[in-house]
Amino acid sequence: MQYINDIDYDYIINKHHDASKPWNGMGRFVRRDEIFDPATGMDADALRDGFLAQDEALKDHPHPIRKARALEFIMKNTRISCDPRDRYPSVNANDRPLKKTIVDEWKREVLKQIVPEIGAKRSYFEKEGIVTIWPDYDHSMPMWERVLSLGFAGLLRESEKARHAKEWDEEQEIFFEGIKITYEAILTLVDRFATLAENTEGSERMAKALRQLEKGAPKNFYEALLLDYLYFLISEHIDYLQVRSLGNFDRLFYPYYKADLERGITEEEIRTDIAYFLAQFVAISNYWNQPVYLGGEKADGSTEINELSYLFLDVYDKMGIYTPKIQIKVGKSTPKDFVCKALDMIRRGNNSIVFVNDDTMQKALLREGATKEEARLCHVTGCYEYSRQDSYFAQMNMLNLLKPFEYTLHEGYDPITGNRSGLPCPPPSAFESFDDLLAEFKRQFCHIVNEAIEVVNGFEGYLSYMNPLSMLSATFPTCLERGRDAIVGGARYNDSTIAFGGLADLGDSLMMIKKYVYEQKKLTLSEFVSILDQNFEGHETFRQMLLRDREKYGNNLPRADEMTISLAKFCIDHVYGRPNAKERGGIWKCNFHVARHSYIWGDKTAACPSGRKCGEELSKNLSPALGQAREGITATVLSFTKLDNTVMASNFSLDLAFLPSAVRGEEGLEAMYGVLMTFNRRGGHAVHFNVFDAEMLREAQANPEKYADLQIRVSGWNVLWNNIDRWEQDGFIRQAEAL
Amino acid sequence: MKATIFELKRFADHDGDGIRTTVFFKGCPLRCVWCHNPEGLTALPQIAFYEHKCIGCGKCQKEDFNPDACLGEARVLYGKEMTVEELLPLLLEDREFYETSGGGVTLSGGECLVQSEFCAELLKRLKENGIQTAVDTCGFVPREALDKVIPFTDVFLYDIKAYDEDVHIRCTERSNKIILENLKYLDEQGKTVEIRIPYVPDYNDREIEKIAHFLKDFTHISRIRVLPYHNYAGSKYRALGMKHSLPERLPTDEELKSAKEILRCITKISCP
Repeated sequence: MQYINDIDYDYIINKHHDASKPWNGMGRFVRRDEIFDPATGMDADALRDGFLAQDEALKDHPHPIRKARALEFIMKNTRISCDPRDRYPSVNANDRPLKKTIVDEWKREVLKQIVPEIGAKRSYFEKEGIVTIWPDYDHSMPMWERVLSLGFAGLLRESEKARHAKEWDEEQEIFFEGIKITYEAILTLVDRFATLAENTEGSERMAKALRQLEKGAPKNFYEALLLDYLYFLISEHIDYLQVRSLGNFDRLFYPYYKADLERGITEEEIRTDIAYFLAQFVAISNYWNQPVYLGGEKADGSTEINELSYLFLDVYDKMGIYTPKIQIKVGKSTPKDFVCKALDMIRRGNNSIVFVNDDTMQKALLREGATKEEARLCHVTGCYEYSRQDSYFAQMNMLNLLKPFEYTLHEGYDPITGNRSGLPCPPPSAFESFDDLLAEFKRQFCHIVNEAIEVVNGFEGYLSYMNPLSMLSATFPTCLERGRDAIVGGARYNDSTIAFGGLADLGDSLMMIKKYVYEQKKLTLSEFVSILDQNFEGHETFRQMLLRDREKYGNNLPRADEMTISLAKFCIDHVYGRPNAKERGGIWKCNFHVARHSYIWGDKTAACPSGRKCGEELSKNLSPALGQAREGITATVLSFTKLDNTVMASNFSLDLAFLPSAVRGEEGLEAMYGVLMTFNRRGGHAVHFNVFDAEMLREAQANPEKYADLQIRVSGWNVLWNNIDRWEQDGFIRQAEAL
Repeated sequence: MKATIFELKRFADHDGDGIRTTVFFKGCPLRCVWCHNPEGLTALPQIAFYEHKCIGCGKCQKEDFNPDACLGEARVLYGKEMTVEELLPLLLEDREFYETSGGGVTLSGGECLVQSEFCAELLKRLKENGIQTAVDTCGFVPREALDKVIPFTDVFLYDIKAYDEDVHIRCTERSNKIILENLKYLDEQGKTVEIRIPYVPDYNDREIEKIAHFLKDFTHISRIRVLPYHNYAGSKYRALGMKHSLPERLPTDEELKSAKEILRCITKISCP
């Protein structure tokens, strides 16, 4: 690998997974006790037993204290390593020990004992494939500027300062005490790392940097990277709070980069530092990828793209890696050559890059009352979600839009499980007009959404009870002003989001019913439903006719687009602005991004009037249904952008697939750029490109060894082709065949 | 006025600058050995049958069968009569993509200038709408045909297949005299021309140097493109029930590189 020699790289990628074993993207939190020196601490079992025994004695104490003490136990006793082959230290307690023990226990307590009726409903929704609901500890992001400018020691100092500035009630005192214990514990670990590094030949630079981080803020580029990494490692792998972005890399690290160059550090050394930093995330290699973003605008509106932006992309490109995943904020001020560099990487198979439209995000945030500066500096987290910086954005549930539609056609029953999950309603024969049918669907939809929101609102107030977020909260000034955990109203903005899946399948299905039942009267609705109930068995000709009908969302045909877009608007109107739990004090938003559930729900979702059979995946994001965008990329962009993406600050995303032959040469690059610019000009929010053809994918399926580096963008994240299941691969092949 | 169109291709990014929509007109005066658009050769509509796509829906067995009804899209109608009024809105649909990429609309074929009057009218309407226009031609057309479209065409994509007349006849069954003269005429008229040379081993690969010398004195050639021959068209010939004698040998990267080098050196014109 460029920048990192093979011996070092081999060591690094084996730190979290045993790279000789089959890849398991879901199993990133595995323990590798055996590769740590036993003299440095306890093995993971002893560690768990130790902090649990300690917790037993603390049973009468409030959760923030208990969690902080457990963290402290781990920081003091985990096995640690530092190695001259690496520039970053490690711990063996990287398997989320707190989650699997105390946090899961507190979650069980809330859902089974404190609000059992809410917990039971949640389980039912999950089982039926209607709504997946979870307490979201997955989308937060610390305020990186403060982390970097203060360091762990500074964050602790600031918290203590706030604590002593005025009188607090008991709960608030506990909040501050939790932060104090947490950060003192983190500093203990930093000290242990430093001592080990001082005693490890070849790790002098790491030792010096760690000593600086123990004292306060980083002073150079490497120290800043090390701090970013340590924060990530402790938060995500031990404290159980995902760090859903490493931040605006070029903005955050540019001052350190610049200062290093002035000190005489070479660009080559900077590149090597970046490479070792990125390799940490390759080593972890989780299924959803670790996000980091580039570009956007400074508070004054000038572009954030600087030399470091180019350098970062270049190192990434030359390393040939696929994680972290990169979002690029593209606005009017973003230089074309930078965007084209990214596009060129994409067409060479690097599908880890997604574009988010800065203008659209800013407009939406301004509409929500953000200042210009706040809008310009907004965070991008997760796949393409965005928010003002000091917010705790939570995506609490994913809802399958086809379920209320199935209830509409089956008198309130689920045709797959036979359970009555919807509201009782008349049989299909009773819907005399299309409007009657649509009205009933809306009634069923509102019912399910209301229930889902009620479930979430019923437990959201307990989020910090289940998992106190001391580490994160210390980075938010408002948390310190309010003496409150970020997840329950400590952050300035506390919105909750519901994600709707299968929008295009729903829109296309309603369109086909409207056309063939109510306009052309080819068959009755009852006959149609009975064909669906047989999963089109014996009706393949009819199904082919449905599939071939181009009046589907994504072809820039007015009626079909209007159907799907108006449903999207209906979903938005029904949800947007409703209050979430009073403890959080935010509002509800929605998006259409259900990640992997497009696949997971396939089996649980009956055949659709659009021609989709039971078992096939659902449409992804706000993209057209599989194989239905028959008029090509330009038409799809035109259809997608009919929905106002600034209606609220939430993610609206489109997946586009290109044939490699369409994007070759200089003209191909210009064409990709033209598509992106048109998408942005028309106000689209997020778009990602897949470049593949069916033949290549079939070949890759048959000969995985030859395609070890082939990447596919699944839905907001990218993954190596060889690391997705065969049925997911088949879905991509079908998509490519439709190109 | 109507023209026979066999395809509208959106997001065409190799038919001129930027993102374009290309209109393929049916009918061509040449018979190139390597032709990869056999559905564009004859002026009359044709129905192709792609056997592997047939799902046995039986629609084609009915008397009033229309290929549009074929559920597997196995039967495809090449050649649809369309008016300017029908075409225009379809071509304007992607206008924003043209604007952001410097693209526009390309008329191609077959040989679009066989239906030159229609082309002129269509191009005029496109220009009225501020669309950049390109005409992709083999050049084997009467001078009057060129005159009709010149005022409304921003760039010509002009094929040169051989310089030597005998070679040209062997490759295309026609002389190239008119073609070479028409190219000179366009240059005299000050029209921007992009030259396209299909590179077909064993057919015109020895013509490159001669073509280069012919082109070196032109003043309005924006660039020369060498288009590597490919043999993907075999299945289309079969589907159309047409015989073909497609060359077997494909150009190598070295051959293409050297052809471009020769063109660049002699003409001093960009040859990407």
